[in-house]
Amino acid sequence: MGEVIVITSGKGGVGKTTTTANIGTGLAMEGKKVVVVDADIGLRNLDVVLGLENRIVYDIVDVVEKVCRLKQGLIKDKRFQNLYLLPAAQTKDKTAVSPEQMQELCEELKEIFDYVIIDCPAGIEQGFQNAIAGAEKAIVVTTPEISAVRDADRIIGLLEAKGLYNPKLIINRIRHDMVKKGDMMNIDDMIDILAIELLGVVPDDESIVISTNKGEPVVTDEKALAGKAYRNITQRILGKEVPLLDLEVDEGVLSKLKKFIFGK
Amino acid sequence: MNDSLIEFKGNKEGLLVHIREGSFESIKISLNKKLKSAQNFFKGGKVIGFKGRTLTDEEKKELKSIIEDQYGLLVNETEDIKDKETNTYEDNYFKGIEEGRTKFLKTTLRSGQRIEYDGNVVVLGDVNPGSVIVATGNIIVLGSLRGTAHAGSNGNTEAIVAAFNLQPTQLRIANIIARSPDNEISKPLGPEIAKINNNNVLIEPYLPKK
Repeated sequence: MGEVIVITSGKGGVGKTTTTANIGTGLAMEGKKVVVVDADIGLRNLDVVLGLENRIVYDIVDVVEKVCRLKQGLIKDKRFQNLYLLPAAQTKDKTAVSPEQMQELCEELKEIFDYVIIDCPAGIEQGFQNAIAGAEKAIVVTTPEISAVRDADRIIGLLEAKGLYNPKLIINRIRHDMVKKGDMMNIDDMIDILAIELLGVVPDDESIVISTNKGEPVVTDEKALAGKAYRNITQRILGKEVPLLDLEVDEGVLSKLKKFIFGK
Repeated sequence: MNDSLIEFKGNKEGLLVHIREGSFESIKISLNKKLKSAQNFFKGGKVIGFKGRTLTDEEKKELKSIIEDQYGLLVNETEDIKDKETNTYEDNYFKGIEEGRTKFLKTTLRSGQRIEYDGNVVVLGDVNPGSVIVATGNIIVLGSLRGTAHAGSNGNTEAIVAAFNLQPTQLRIANIIARSPDNEISKPLGPEIAKINNNNVLIEPYLPKK
């Protein structure tokens, strides 16, 4: 029996899709059977980030409407054979699926996979309600901006109202240099406001842009700092204790090293 | 050759009875013969519909009673199976490839837009990734084709897809599906045509014969 985790944020553009792709791939790298579900019907992206767009024949709407079988809708990843994608429909909208149908779908997927990771759309309307309907756990993604943190706070409230208690937090796109200068919110400030458990911190990294455009999740990149951050997050999801501070120290040492080599 | 008038075809839902043209009497005889030849095999089976020769209600009733009462099969006709079957039935695909109804789109098709047409489609513009064109005939794009295109969607393998810049996410002709390669490939230099050749989608440069 698998676990259903929804990745959500409220605000758009904070990195839900990137996080979904990387956590899904990360768990698959650890040998788990994983399916990532794109619940952003009408604005699908997860397939592009994973580089699987050209393989889509059926989508989530076809599956819930029983136009095709579940197995036909699932797309096998080109790198990891235990990773699958259930893509969103692009030519429909959020109302094409109901929360009840999503619940049913998640139950079905749970039987087959160890982890079901759902990529939630931005906003708090039906798309959000659909995405969280079948979820048992939630991960809230935010960036160190006051607007993103405010939206994350709202989302945590909505999740609790739906019975999804103790969501975990991922802080994305943090820039150590700016935090040090006091130009960016620091991690403690954000945890202070949101008061939920921190799952990981992902640095702002150019390699994310490169890997997204290539359709290869950064978690597979041994050298990228963001890749290491996502690998640590994966370990924590698997229940292993990876000290959160480790990453920060790592960041510090690495960026110092970078500065030493590249002169800035 | 009475036997050849009736054929049973099985699928996931049950059995389909294919009936060729012929007098009703000979159809009845061959049905009886067919069912008798494998009585144990057919017993308890489910017939989901009749295909081929059109039957009057009276004739259908009679065939049903033969199948149900004498051989112990269940007849349960479902409307949509009948519809679906007639769509894919060999004689029913769109044949206006050389000359037929055509839709002209004087716009660029953007992500999320879907055009379905029973005929040929000509786009005077681009077809962007995330958009879909489904046509029972040919698809011609006077611009870049980067989305998904499905020509000959109800079974015509003669249908073609042509574009000034042919770089589709996915290309389907009849029931053949081809996808773009995963590695970056060089841009096509001129117009290209895609068609079916030996059950594969073949893309070749468009070279007008001079």
